[in-house]
Amino acid sequence: MTTTTYADEIAPCPPRAGTLYDVLELILDRGMVIDVFVRVSLVGIEILKIDARIVVASVDTYLRFAEACNRLDLERDSGSTTVPELIGGGAAKKIGKRKVRDAAESVGDTVRKVVGADGSDEHDEDEAEEQYERPRKRRAPARKSSSGAPRRRRAEA
Amino acid sequence: MSPDGLYVYGIVRARTPLPPGAAGVGSPPAALRTVGTDSVATVVSAAPAQLRARRRDLLAHQNLLTGLAEAGPVLPMRFGAVAPDEEALRAQLAAAEASHLATLDRLAGHVEINVKALPARDSLASLVAGDSTVRRLRDEARRRPGYEADVRLGQAVASALSRRAAEAGRKILRDLASMARATAAGPDVQGCALNVSFLVGRSDADRFRTTTERFAAAHREHVELRLAGPLPCYSFVGASANPAAPATPPVAAGGA
Repeated sequence: MTTTTYADEIAPCPPRAGTLYDVLELILDRGMVIDVFVRVSLVGIEILKIDARIVVASVDTYLRFAEACNRLDLERDSGSTTVPELIGGGAAKKIGKRKVRDAAESVGDTVRKVVGADGSDEHDEDEAEEQYERPRKRRAPARKSSSGAPRRRRAEA
Repeated sequence: MSPDGLYVYGIVRARTPLPPGAAGVGSPPAALRTVGTDSVATVVSAAPAQLRARRRDLLAHQNLLTGLAEAGPVLPMRFGAVAPDEEALRAQLAAAEASHLATLDRLAGHVEINVKALPARDSLASLVAGDSTVRRLRDEARRRPGYEADVRLGQAVASALSRRAAEAGRKILRDLASMARATAAGPDVQGCALNVSFLVGRSDADRFRTTTERFAAAHREHVELRLAGPLPCYSFVGASANPAAPATPPVAAGGA
């Protein structure tokens, strides 16, 4: 379980990125509203932007789930395999750097990355993009070799 | 005076001290002060010219309210409230003084604790083994690989994980509600199977946390629980808070 304790974190350490993510919807959608006060209209635009990016992130998550499932060896698997272990590639590299638990790529994690940081989230998005692109990159050499084949045949002829 | 109006953080009892070192929204952080009547006060600062839901400003809002809540009850404003000027602010406070005081009294000695239930991340293999739909889609995706099949499979996995999380979430909700004075369903959050806030007495907060941790450990195959708090009582200042034992808070059915 992940616990976020505010009392411990007021000062001198500002709350971590994940901390704000966990309460973002409360700060933006709960709390007192007084009709005579203006509510900043631009806030809405910001939220729309976040929503759009979450949609992107969730399709990415579906594809990673699918890939993990396809690789899953049910006979061999003991049931303890985690999603990031199955994903391999970039995620596996990350596991080397961090604890498995922290590296785990759950739906929540993906969303947290998307809304989490101010500018560094751009980087996370690139990372997700990279995994998403991988199958296409794998196909690319195949196309090249097939387009090379007729040339070889012509040479043989 | 403040051409862009006054940013309002929250409402407190008069003479509630500002947390030491606290600062407001904007860059550089705006200076804080109180504006109020004899019995209630608002904590305000000059509103920045171009206020948006920036990370920095959300944190300033949140940290100030968390600090204020240490000293006494506070009614947190939703992020982004701007009063036109001091006069309008005082008029509003005077008009609603009795109701503000009643809410402050109701919340005194309480904190909000938010619990989110997310799909467990370690249970993919047992899910594939146990869920026939996922198994069938997985076989199809292996027979005829492709983007469509993968999205269908991944979607089925995501929704099955959410369903398991929501079931476990409903169980923990029953246990926790008995320790809370009120519950309030949180806004839908992408990826969360359940999002509920609890109004808990400060002295019960530790017991509440321990119970949640114990449940999380026992059900880690089905659900990941995230607990945030103690928080300012964002979810319990309005009419939407549900003072009775919880009905069934909305559960994101399909999830993800």
